[in-house]
Amino acid sequence: MALTLMLLLPLLGAVALIAIPGDESRVERGIALGTTVLTALLAVVVVTGRHEIDAPWIRSLGIRWHFGVDGISAALVILTALLTVAVVVHTLAGRFPAGGSGSTFLGCILLVETGALATFLARDAILFFIAFEVVLVPMWVLIRSFGDDHVPDERRSDAAGRFVLFTVLGSTLMLVGILFLVHHQGTSDLTELARLHGDGISRSLETAIAGMLLLGLGIKVPLWPVHTWLPPAHTVAPTAGSVLLAAVLLKMGTYGIVRLVVATVPNGLAALSPVLAILGVVGILWGGLACLVERDLKRLIAYSSVAHMGFVVLALASGSDTGLQAALLGNIAHGVVAALLFFVVGDLKEQWGSADLSTVRAGLRDTSPRLGVVLLVGLAAALGLPGLVSFWGEFLALYAAWSPAPDRPVALLRVCVVLGAVGLALAAAYSLRVARLVWSGEASGAAAEVPASSTAAGEAGRASTTGAPTVGAPAEGVAAEGVASAGGAVVDARGARWAVVLTLAVAVVVLGVLPQLLLGVSGPDAVRLITGAGVLP
Amino acid sequence: MSWIVRMIVVLPALAALAGLLARRQRLLAAGIAIGMSAYVAVLAFIQWVAPARTADIESIGRLSTGALQVPLHLLSDRLSGLVALAVAVVVLAIQVFTAWYLRDDPRYGQFAATVSLFATGMLLLVQASDLVLILVGWEIMGWCSWLLIGHDSQRPEARRAAYKAFIVTRVADIGMVVGLVALAVRAGSTDLITVLTASGHDTALTVGLVGVIIGVAGKSGLIPFHDWLPDAMEGPTPASALIHAATMVAAGSYVIARLFSLYASHDGARTLLAVLASATMVYAALLAFAQTDLKRMLAYSTLSQIAIMLAALAAAPPDIGFAPAIGHLVAHAFFKALLFLGAGWLSVLAGATALAALRGRLHGTGALRWSIGLGLAALAGVPPLIGFFTKDSVIETSIEGATGGGGARAWLVVVALFVTVVLTATYCARAWLLLDTPLAAAEPQSGGSPNAATGSDVPEAVVVAEEDLAVVTAADSADDAEVERVHAHGHAPITLSAALAVATLAALTVFGTLLLFSLTGALKPGIVSALLSLLLVVGAAYAVWTLSDRGRHDVADRVPSHVRDRAVRGFGADTAYVGVGRAVTAVARLVVALDRDVVDAYPRATVVAARGLGRVGERSHRGVPSLSLLALLAGVVVIAVLGVTAWR
Repeated sequence: MALTLMLLLPLLGAVALIAIPGDESRVERGIALGTTVLTALLAVVVVTGRHEIDAPWIRSLGIRWHFGVDGISAALVILTALLTVAVVVHTLAGRFPAGGSGSTFLGCILLVETGALATFLARDAILFFIAFEVVLVPMWVLIRSFGDDHVPDERRSDAAGRFVLFTVLGSTLMLVGILFLVHHQGTSDLTELARLHGDGISRSLETAIAGMLLLGLGIKVPLWPVHTWLPPAHTVAPTAGSVLLAAVLLKMGTYGIVRLVVATVPNGLAALSPVLAILGVVGILWGGLACLVERDLKRLIAYSSVAHMGFVVLALASGSDTGLQAALLGNIAHGVVAALLFFVVGDLKEQWGSADLSTVRAGLRDTSPRLGVVLLVGLAAALGLPGLVSFWGEFLALYAAWSPAPDRPVALLRVCVVLGAVGLALAAAYSLRVARLVWSGEASGAAAEVPASSTAAGEAGRASTTGAPTVGAPAEGVAAEGVASAGGAVVDARGARWAVVLTLAVAVVVLGVLPQLLLGVSGPDAVRLITGAGVLP
Repeated sequence: MSWIVRMIVVLPALAALAGLLARRQRLLAAGIAIGMSAYVAVLAFIQWVAPARTADIESIGRLSTGALQVPLHLLSDRLSGLVALAVAVVVLAIQVFTAWYLRDDPRYGQFAATVSLFATGMLLLVQASDLVLILVGWEIMGWCSWLLIGHDSQRPEARRAAYKAFIVTRVADIGMVVGLVALAVRAGSTDLITVLTASGHDTALTVGLVGVIIGVAGKSGLIPFHDWLPDAMEGPTPASALIHAATMVAAGSYVIARLFSLYASHDGARTLLAVLASATMVYAALLAFAQTDLKRMLAYSTLSQIAIMLAALAAAPPDIGFAPAIGHLVAHAFFKALLFLGAGWLSVLAGATALAALRGRLHGTGALRWSIGLGLAALAGVPPLIGFFTKDSVIETSIEGATGGGGARAWLVVVALFVTVVLTATYCARAWLLLDTPLAAAEPQSGGSPNAATGSDVPEAVVVAEEDLAVVTAADSADDAEVERVHAHGHAPITLSAALAVATLAALTVFGTLLLFSLTGALKPGIVSALLSLLLVVGAAYAVWTLSDRGRHDVADRVPSHVRDRAVRGFGADTAYVGVGRAVTAVARLVVALDRDVVDAYPRATVVAARGLGRVGERSHRGVPSLSLLALLAGVVVIAVLGVTAWR
């Protein structure tokens, strides 16, 4: 009951919000906030009570309305529900992004939540696919209509189009894989499929199915050569969109791999694991290197996501239970850290007008210490600092890849471990690059010491004095822009927004100090999933 | 008992958190930092007196990581007791000193909190009985070093030095991470005891031990990773004292000491360590001699001294073990902290850290003069100071290792040690003569000098010295922001507590040897080696004394200036690092270009192809509307006929 309510609530909220033509009045705000908070509470109830619902749905096809929660999905469900609350609170506390009515914006957020929750809870392969697709359109609206209004319309359309086309291609491939699997196993029930653990399918067919599923889900993760949709989508998407994209949507990809590939076609995964490991490691290095020279802060974090997901994929390629635990932990860790970083960077971009790192600005440390400190926590986590949440996933991933399951190519995986460790050094280099540019500030010492407000005035003054004699009339425009972009006078996080980022920063530290909180939840089920003992009791 | 061990690790972390929250209230922040580190020092003392002798102290519970065992235990034994005590005492002295030294710094609160966090990292590493916890402590220190070195981030040099320190050590940590993973895989557990007792898997063992050596080389500044440490002098002096004395750079020796039984059985890894340590020991001592800045000289001397500890680990026979190295670690912690705090004190008196500007400034400063004198004497190995005993124990151990089957590896270490003894005494004597000879004595150039007979020598030397001064004030000085602030508006005279902190360290430099009796084997001086090294020290000091004309000149000026200039700049190691950085950036640019033009070309090509096909289709439709109409009509007719037929 609670489970159905939890799925229906955001859906109804979304329908109501999208149907109401009005703007962001009190009613819409109330609906959005109330629904998400209630959903989050229900999510806690569902997860702690391990609720399940199982009813016939499409009888002729044997598809059942089957949702349930287990150790694999529990943390993701909670993460999704809580992050949506954070996203809504963050959105309500500031200015709505331009491009449409506020209620549509909130409705789309709720719709994404519905789809993501359903994906993580689905116990039926077809149902999983349907839920997976629900997310697509609202996310497209978030990027296309509510995207960054500083960029030309073509770039928004390009980014949104890329997102949809890549993802649809991925889910089509996934659907073909699912249909093959369901056809040969005679059931679409994920628990049953996990229990069969690939029995009854020939090895070559298993490999083919695993290939299709991995390619399809790999686009969503994103795996290395099919990652090019992610940076533009992140750059253009509004803060809410970026957070959901990084923290929720990408997780659907890795979760799908665990649920549909690791559990159901293990031999196929074993056959493809060298490819998977290589792609993961290339992603780690590729993303890390791209971050070293990337100038746009949001693109940079997008590339760092590619690198972090590379560790998750490497852990999955190892095929051991330690690897699965590493992947699940890495998944959640990246969700929390990327959400934190995108909240902070989104705030900064809103105030700077762009996220260009080549603009010299005063350091956040001096102008807005709160944003500064949470950014620093996020960056420290992004470089895998031990004691913060990302470290455990990455260290365990390297361990798992060094001692993989028996049927894996050991030598290749060990090379991957060394290269992955190189990726850790790259992560340090780019994280500190950002910290140096944004947190401590490359602006001159004088500019950094002047209080925030006068810095802006000073920059504006400098802009007008340099601009006035030469350009004449347009100089005022230059000066005005100077205030917006080059001033670097960032208003510090306050109120609800401060609460959101602070909570996430605390989560990064607490989960980092006590990783058992997450590992303990997924531990038993991870072992059962790897051994094919079935997951739900 | 076990709660004491946990508190030793947890309290500094709490102090860091509380200090960060209370950063605006200066007194409160200082109170938290000092009070908590004093309490930790007391706890560490209790542990030193009565270590629990167990390695099963629960920390945050066992992790569910499938087949891998991650118990995350802490331990407490004589070794951890001694090192934790040294760390806690040094941190306490530094916190007390910082409260005075950074009293005008607007970000004092953050600094003190970071020092507390740094102490957490080191104490966690010391108390850890688990490879993962060792790595956690190891990296926390790296991160805090970045914060501390970059504390004065308004200065570009500080930002650069901080970045360099973290990146260089992190690159070396590639080896550390891989090494620890390999060791954990070999044992199927990250528990230290299991790792030490596991057998088999020779490849994993080799990778593990060599990987850890690479990681240690990064943090401890062995060649080729050594160049970050002198640059790290851009941090405020207390930060330098912390990084150099008992934490970070010394952590490598501790980790290898913990893994000693594995190293003892692996000659290849120990040979690598011996070569790296011997080379660094001599090379860094040579560079220390040439430095024009007091803090940079101390930095190079740290490199040299850390290499002595690691060399002891590389050469020690298995039955003696790690104790002499740890003894020297503790001794170095005391006298190097003393020297750095003394240097900080002197630098705010003189408003500089460049040796040329500090000439004769030590004269008549009372306690400060004594402190620096004791520190330098301990560094040079003058009896009866702590440095003498521990260095001689290291030499004696290495000789035993060499005669007891250590072979070429141990002989290499022995030779390097004796060379380093001479060089250390040389640069210590030089520094003392420069700092202590009153300028009035150094000023008059005419007569007295044995070189004056040649006539041309002396003026040349003076010119070189003046040029040095110009160079120094322009680029090579490691003045921190505090010293710059002194130029702006002076500095308050030292407080009693800060002076007491320095005096305590001085006392430990004299009497600290007594602490070492708690660790079996830490003190085993040999008569012959002691006499020999004493002879070498006296000889070197006398040579410096005469060559510098009783302190009237800088003896390093006798080095040809083109060699000296390059030595001051570390023989271009920085340029090499920059070269590596450029190469990586070039690869990164290539990656971005490939990402845009190759990887992303396929999706774009698909778009172009789809659009093209769409246009083709569109054209084929627009061309013949009548045909489709005809087809439609025909279709309707067919359906009608079919319908009628079927109905009938």
